[in-house]
Order: sequence, then C-alpha cells, then structure tokens
Amino acid sequence: MSDSIVAAAPSALAEQPIISFRNVSKTYILYKNDQARFKALFFKPRNPKTNKALNDVSFDIQRGESIGIVGDNGAGKSTLLKMITGVAFPDSGEITVNGKVAALLELTAGFSTEMTGRENIYLKGYILGLDKEYIKEIEEKIIEFAELGDYIDQPVRTYSSGMKMRLGFAINVNIEPDVLVVDEALSVGDASFKIKCKEKIKEIIGAGTTVLYVSHNAESVREICPRSIYLRKGAVIHDGPTDETLKVYQDYKESIKKNKKK
Amino acid sequence: MITSILKEHKGFGRQILLLSRDELIKTYKGAVIGPFWAVVKPAFTVFVYWFAFSAGIKTLKNVGVHLGGPEPFSIDFFTFMFVGIIPWFFIQESIIQGSKALRTNRQFITKVKFPVSTILTYTGLSRLYVHLFLLIILYGYVIYHRVLTGLPPFSVYDVQILFYCPLMFMFFLALSWSTAPMAAFSKDFESLIVSVMSGIFWLSGIMYDSYNFKGVLKYAMLANPINFFANGYRNCFLYNRWFFEYKTELVIFLVEFVAVFALGIFNYNRLRKRLPDVL
Repeated sequence: MSDSIVAAAPSALAEQPIISFRNVSKTYILYKNDQARFKALFFKPRNPKTNKALNDVSFDIQRGESIGIVGDNGAGKSTLLKMITGVAFPDSGEITVNGKVAALLELTAGFSTEMTGRENIYLKGYILGLDKEYIKEIEEKIIEFAELGDYIDQPVRTYSSGMKMRLGFAINVNIEPDVLVVDEALSVGDASFKIKCKEKIKEIIGAGTTVLYVSHNAESVREICPRSIYLRKGAVIHDGPTDETLKVYQDYKESIKKNKKK
Repeated sequence: MITSILKEHKGFGRQILLLSRDELIKTYKGAVIGPFWAVVKPAFTVFVYWFAFSAGIKTLKNVGVHLGGPEPFSIDFFTFMFVGIIPWFFIQESIIQGSKALRTNRQFITKVKFPVSTILTYTGLSRLYVHLFLLIILYGYVIYHRVLTGLPPFSVYDVQILFYCPLMFMFFLALSWSTAPMAAFSKDFESLIVSVMSGIFWLSGIMYDSYNFKGVLKYAMLANPINFFANGYRNCFLYNRWFFEYKTELVIFLVEFVAVFALGIFNYNRLRKRLPDVL
C-alpha cells in the first residue's frame, strides 16, 4: 500500500500544487453479516462485495484556485473531501496536501463536550497542528466571531446546536487556512449569522485561499468557481472550466431522463 | 512502526490531560454522589467477597502463600484479598472499557482529523486517576494493618509500587492498541471480551494463592499477567519481596509485555486507516 499523505518541504511550496491526487482509489468492503465482519479481523475476505467510492482519481489544484466539485449522491464527493481533510485514507494512490485545511462540513462534531468553548479552541488548534502562541493570537478573534459571550467559558455540552455550529465555523475560518472545504448544504443557524458566514467565506476566497466547493446547485458553483470537477461513480468524468463541466453534467442528466421516458 | 503512535502523542500532552479529566467527569456526571461511586462500587465488591469467604464459608480465616520458603507465608484472608483486588479493579476496567474506547469516542474518528491512538491514552489515564485514589485508601489500610500486627508502618518495599503501577498502565494500554480497533470492527469481539472477564477473575490469583500449583498449571498461572500484578502489589505491601526476586515470574511477564506491545503496534497500524469506514 502506498497510501501516505506526504508533507512537502516548505521551500518547494511555491511551485508545487497545494493539493495533488495521484491515482487515488478507495473501496469500501460490504460485509455480508456480522460473522463475515468478525472473520475479516483475522483473515482477508474472499471475493467480498465491494463499493468503489473512488476509482483512479488524479488531479492537481494550484494555490489560490477555487474548484467546484459536482456530481450526484454517491458519486464519491464526500469521500474525496474526507481524504483532503485527513479523516479517511485511500487504499492506493497518493494524496499530497501542502497546508492547513479548514473544513466547513460537520461543524458540530469533534468537540469535547465537557471542555469549555475556550478549551475546545485550543483542542482544535492543536489537532490542526498549530502552536500555542498562534492559537492565543487568534483566540479573541474566534470568540468575537462566534458571538458566544460569556458562554465561551461554559462546557460545550450546555451549548445549543446553533452555538456549537457558530463556534465550529469561527474556529475554521479564523485559523487562516490554506485550503477551505465548503459544502453548500452547510447550515449555520439564524439568518443574520448566515449572512455573516457568506461574507466571511467571500472574504477568504478574495484573499486568495484555495477553495473546494461541493454543491448540487449549478448556479452557485458558477458564481464561485472558475474550474470544476465532475464525479460519477467514483471516477473523474470531466475536469475543466466550470461552464464546460456543468454542460457535461447537464447533458448526462438529460440523457438519463430521456432513457427513463423510453 | 511505533513512530506512528509516538507521533500522534507528540505535542499533544496537555490536551491528553484535559481530555482525561473530561472523561472522568463524564463517567460520574449525573449521579447524586458522583465521584463516590468510584469508591462505593469496589467497597461493596470487597465486602461481598469477604462476607462469602470469611463469614459464609467459615474455613477461610488465613491464607498460606507459597513464596518458596520452608513454611507458607501466613496472612489473614481479608488483607490478602484486598491488596490483590485493587489492581484487579483497574485491570477489569482497562480491558473492558479499553476495548470500547474507540467506539464510544467515534466522533473523533469519523468526523474530524484526530490523533486516534491518544483516545486510548486519555481514557486509560482517567481510569488511572480512580485507581490512584483507591491505591491511597489501600495504603492507608496497609499502614493500619501493619501497626495492628506490631510491624513498622512503612517499608522500603513500598517503593516498588512506582514500578508496578506504571507498568500495569502501560501493559493494558498496549493491550488496548489491539483490542480497541478490533472491537471497533466487530461488536462480537467486544462482547467476547466482556463475557470472558468474569471468568478471568476466578482463573487469576485474586482470591487464592496463585503460587500453590504444580506442573503445567504452575506455568499457566505464571503466564497470566493479572497474577503478575496482583502478586506484585502484594510484594510491595505484604510479602516484603523485591520484584526481581522471583526471576521466572518476571521473565515470563516481560516476554509477554514485549509481545503484547509489538502486537498492539501491529494491529493498530493495520486497522487504523480503516477505522473511519467501519465506525
């Protein structure tokens, strides 16, 4: 297995793509039942049923690019994002990510519930590989952005889900990420905070951060991303200017509709 | 190979301590007498065993321990059992909760990037705090018992606890590197562990002298690491014996420790990357 996530030397950063996928494949094994699962602990399963989530995916993303990722449910979008954020790992192929990744995906997850909001800022900071001085610097910015007031020193278990989301969002956008991963289906509480979030995302994009934007909505992809990747059944079908990619996607959808009518 | 686990711990020490404190709070939260459960539960267990064996089955007043001298070392049953059962409480919790730890902390595996092996460390630490608290109570009893029987309250052999206690923590941490990922894959494996645990208690020398066996059984008892720790705690507080005095016991344990350690690293690395897919 050559499935390492390689960290490149800082000197080489300027020329290198910020994210690079090389022949990345990922297969989920579907166990027939619990016995098969238990057996698989000790023996390799023979001809197991599998689901190829990603199939030989390769692409490069340069620093500062904004990329849209489109495709139907189950096309492998979330698997791809999980790999970029370092949650999931490929079976084969190589993934290189040169920089801090902020993921606006599951904002309420990954908190330690007995810790205070402030302590969780440090926890998340350390997980992202930041040092203490840096976290101290951005701590106030995060607290201010999350609008938590005195709640910041209360345990996170006392937070409403909206508060957790706000804190999660505030941490992710204030660490000055090199890569921002956004899911369009993201919901961040009430209307006024939603506007604030949209503005912040726009600000980050404007500042030249690399953005990966996942969406079903063609219009919003067109608005943000000049380049898009279309995934179908785990494979890259088209990778190019957004207009082209969306046309391929649209054509495919229509061809399916036609087939159904027949 | 070991580097993957070490790397995950590097620079994360303070966070591990904070998370272990959290884990402790979570365990006892919501109960009226909260942390007292950490004492009440073991105290009741000790009482039950004492009642059954000393007051119920009236034969067991004293235990003769075969330490290799001409005469067995004689000690009253309650003290013998009490010193051995305190490490057992830690061992039992470590094996059961240790194997469940990844499943119960799955939000750190499937939702965010996280140094997964530290989950086993901080949950283990939270159990160690409870153990240290019980250890203080035990030491109080040991001093009381010594004074009562006309011995000096402190003994130089007591310092060995600094050998046995951290070693016990490390041994069962390394064991969880194997069991926790496997239990995360298969709930059956977790059930298997839970169901054999009460049997393991009676197969170990907590309630009786594990040295009092001959032939194959003698080595079977020596091969049980739980005996190593139960007897080790008794070395400290009762037997006045150094940990290296019984060399066969020590060597067998150390070989097992290396094996469990290596197997733990192997299993953790083998299963780590598939954990987010199965949890």
